[in-house]
Amino acid sequence: MDENVIEVENLVKYFDGRCVLDGINLKVPRGCIYGLLGRNAAGKTTMIRILFGLEPSTRGWAFLLGTESSRLSAKVKGRIGYVAEGHNLIQNYKVGRLVKLCRDLSLQWNSEFFAHLIEMFHLPMDRRISQLSIGMRAQLNLSLALAIDPELLILDDPTLGMDTVARRQFLELAIDLIQQQDRTILFSSHILSDVERVADRIGILAGGKLVVDCALEELKNRIKKFRLIFPESAPEDLHLTEIINQQIQGREMVITVANWNQQKQAMLDTFKPSNSTEMPMSLEDIFIECTKPTTVTTAPQ
Amino acid sequence: MFTLIKREIEDHVAFFLGAAIATAILIVLLVSAVLNYDPPPDIPVYAVGLLIPVIVVVVIGLPAMGVSQMYTDRNRRISAFLSGLPVTRSQILVARIVTGVLAILIVLAPLTITGTVLRDLLLPPIPIYPGLIADMSVTAFLIAFACYCLGLLTGWTSSRITPTLGALVLTCILIPLILVKGFGLHIKVILILFIIASLVRTWQKFKSTAL
Repeated sequence: MDENVIEVENLVKYFDGRCVLDGINLKVPRGCIYGLLGRNAAGKTTMIRILFGLEPSTRGWAFLLGTESSRLSAKVKGRIGYVAEGHNLIQNYKVGRLVKLCRDLSLQWNSEFFAHLIEMFHLPMDRRISQLSIGMRAQLNLSLALAIDPELLILDDPTLGMDTVARRQFLELAIDLIQQQDRTILFSSHILSDVERVADRIGILAGGKLVVDCALEELKNRIKKFRLIFPESAPEDLHLTEIINQQIQGREMVITVANWNQQKQAMLDTFKPSNSTEMPMSLEDIFIECTKPTTVTTAPQ
Repeated sequence: MFTLIKREIEDHVAFFLGAAIATAILIVLLVSAVLNYDPPPDIPVYAVGLLIPVIVVVVIGLPAMGVSQMYTDRNRRISAFLSGLPVTRSQILVARIVTGVLAILIVLAPLTITGTVLRDLLLPPIPIYPGLIADMSVTAFLIAFACYCLGLLTGWTSSRITPTLGALVLTCILIPLILVKGFGLHIKVILILFIIASLVRTWQKFKSTAL
């Protein structure tokens, strides 16, 4: 068995001279739910498409289940469930015909589980795909991807267009799936609360680079945000490295720092703040801090 | 592979129906003309007469089918969907080509059989070249396949004008070759080279493009 189900080495992608992915390195171990985050046009979909062999890379390598992405055989693809962004389904087909096509082409098909999903999502088999709502298309696409009992599930913004109930059902499905042995999920989403709920490892793409790639808990421990009150006006430079964000207003300073450790704490203590409060950060807060440009702003009191 | 071929046939069933109807009409016309003709007709003249409407069908229908397969695929992102399933791009393209060959055979096979039967029934007492119908059928197949390959080659685009005009112009260049070179070995070699070049370029474009 491969230790890493997904491996990306120095992946570079240019679109019309614009660098979208700039030397991405990534390893996703078996059994992991990996949440890939990034702002719009950060390169999440491009990276997933390169991984699945739908898009050629400019440089670098991507491997799925030990096979180079551009050379995935039908046998390897049969072990991967894929839900594309925008849910690329054949629009002029009826649901029943599309399901039959997928079943006939798949290497294994869990009819019982698929029937359960169709019933759960109330999907009409006699309606054309073009007549389905975006949410229903998402549910159908997800059902088709799950019906093959995939070893690796790649989901590109799968909950896009789903209502709250359907999103919750999807998340529970994802959790159920991962509880089965050796299942791995890579998914990108804009809904950070969903990612926070299911992912055990997080990657954040910003400026073409993977600026964060670690376990969710580790990420929360590594990035700290403090509100500091100084006896007099706040110093403009705390001589700390890896400051993500810093805002000063009179005696008050709000600072976000990556890789917080005892040395940084000691350095901060030398400025003798009269009050230092750590501000709790959700994944959404961390995401916003990591993806906006590094800022040091000073506002008048 | 069978599923992919079946899908292609179902999605382009109009071309198959059109081919079958056109073939049936041609056979009925041919047979009735031959049987109602007295004295017995000159078979080569009839064969050439038959070839003209076949060429018209081939020039318009087959490039249109190739274009339709590739153009609708690209614009409806069918291959993008199929690539999410246990299917490789090569399999998708091979299934498509097999479908094209089947469409050509629907036209040519019944015509060849009819031509052979009529020749045997109405063979004149003078000696004629025995491989005439076989030669004509093989050349007709090659030219039909070349036209279809042109459709595949020019159809892989998001522009509507390029595939339509491109296939027609290239086909119009290709067809007069028969008039110049006849049905002999030379034209067969030229057509085979043309088919190989078209298929290699189509395969290369289809394999390397983002889906």
